[in-house]
Amino acid sequence: MDDMTTTAATATATPVVGFDQVSKTYGTVRAVDGLSLTLHPGETVALLGPNGAGKSTTLDLLLGLKHADGGTVHVFGTSPREAIVAGRVGAMLQSGGLMDEVTVAELVKLACALHPKPYQVNDVLARAGITQIADRKVNKLSGGQAQRVRFALATAGDSDLIVLDEPTTGMDVSARQAFWATMREQADQGRTVLFATHYLEEADAIADRVLVLHRGRLLADGTAAEIKAKAGARRVAFDLEGPIDEAPLRGLPFLTSIDVSGQTVRIQSTDADATVHALYGLGVYPRNLEVAGLGLEQAFVAITAAEEAKQS
Amino acid sequence: MNSLIKLELTRALRNRKFLFFSVVYPSVIFLLVSNQTGDVDGSGLSVAKYVMVSMASFGALTAVLMGNSERIAKEREGGWVRQLRLTPLPGRGYVLAKTASAAVVSLPSIVVVFLVAAAVKDVRLDTWQWFALTGAIWAGSFVFAALGVAIGYLASGDAVRPITMIVYFGLSILGGLWMPSSSFPTWLQDIAKWLPTHAYAALGRAIEQSQAPNPQDIAILVAFFLLFAGGAAWLYRKDTLKA
Repeated sequence: MDDMTTTAATATATPVVGFDQVSKTYGTVRAVDGLSLTLHPGETVALLGPNGAGKSTTLDLLLGLKHADGGTVHVFGTSPREAIVAGRVGAMLQSGGLMDEVTVAELVKLACALHPKPYQVNDVLARAGITQIADRKVNKLSGGQAQRVRFALATAGDSDLIVLDEPTTGMDVSARQAFWATMREQADQGRTVLFATHYLEEADAIADRVLVLHRGRLLADGTAAEIKAKAGARRVAFDLEGPIDEAPLRGLPFLTSIDVSGQTVRIQSTDADATVHALYGLGVYPRNLEVAGLGLEQAFVAITAAEEAKQS
Repeated sequence: MNSLIKLELTRALRNRKFLFFSVVYPSVIFLLVSNQTGDVDGSGLSVAKYVMVSMASFGALTAVLMGNSERIAKEREGGWVRQLRLTPLPGRGYVLAKTASAAVVSLPSIVVVFLVAAAVKDVRLDTWQWFALTGAIWAGSFVFAALGVAIGYLASGDAVRPITMIVYFGLSILGGLWMPSSSFPTWLQDIAKWLPTHAYAALGRAIEQSQAPNPQDIAILVAFFLLFAGGAAWLYRKDTLKA
């Protein structure tokens, strides 16, 4: 029931972000190439891709820092700039610098003063976990602390969309976990969160939806589980005795790849249950059978490799 | 916007080096240079009066030029300008806040020179002259504030300091703020009289002489203001599209 109402609301509400055939070219490089995507209210979305995939350009276009050569970008049905002026977007960029020679508290106070729907300065400091360093000068912070200050600036007010470009760069593991716990709170309050990352486990653990970007195009769009499925979600490995006849193995249902080395056969399958069932049907006796999920990282590599093969 | 001006100002007032060079330093030079008695050739002004206007103008120039150019170039490169564009602050707000805070700091640079001149060197002027001088030198400093913004958007973070220094010393010395340009060779005087700093100081001297300002000086200042402000606006727009 809950799911149905959510779906109905999603279908009728104005999309949070709408890209329609957006392109951006630098010289001869198409950083973003005919990109179309829609983000819905309340989603936590990971933008995943290797370096140079167009993630940062996509976020710059979304935030109105760059203008598209072609296509349209809408944020809450308006231009990115209008959405920012209305206080609906909070953003944290990798390239976002901080003002030097002022204290952390002064800078956060400024961000609150500039936001149309500001929170209390002390609350923002506490939520970002920077209360203890509030009196420190901004230019004396470590990389991870500076990231937290950027996060505080992005969450200085009650924004509906939070955009984060590689937010945990420079943080150690525990800081990263604390950061995502904070971010989840933001998402749980009904905000839409979009973050770019190349830490695949972050996309896997945090996002409801993963957008895979490669060479400025959208390669895959779905839940982390669906992305894995798209790449041939499960690995099946087993040993066979005697000479191995590959031909019948290649005919197995739902098989996406096969690799035979020595007596060991490794298969990727989009439906491991059906594949294994059919394997027994071939009359062979697989030993040491293992069925394992494919990590998002491997899925990602598989998808981008498949795309490169298609293009060359 | 006000909050950004306030923060820029807090930061400027906290920076001792900047305050020393824009507020204290001009008064120190004034005391060192104004020891001679008698009048400056052809001006009918005592050395103290002449140098007072030069140093007040110099101090205001320092406050508006040095602060703006270097910070803008560095903050552009460091990404603070980008970060501000993610806030509802209007695009011009950043430049306006910088200029406004520089204008607040330039006021004490002017007034401190006047106080030192009056207290130590017995410089006496009519009340209206003190106010008119303060107003004219302060208003004239916006020409150089615009120049500072233009340099900040033109230069990279590494190049901005040498470029600012060359422009700053070039304008100060050739414009006759450090020594009367009447002591220059004729060919240099011919160049100097077209410089905005020369017109700037001449404006203050006209007030000391109870004369109407020379229309040519006003025209030069207005022309340079339009040139610098137009250049700054153009460079700003170019930078915004690129960012």
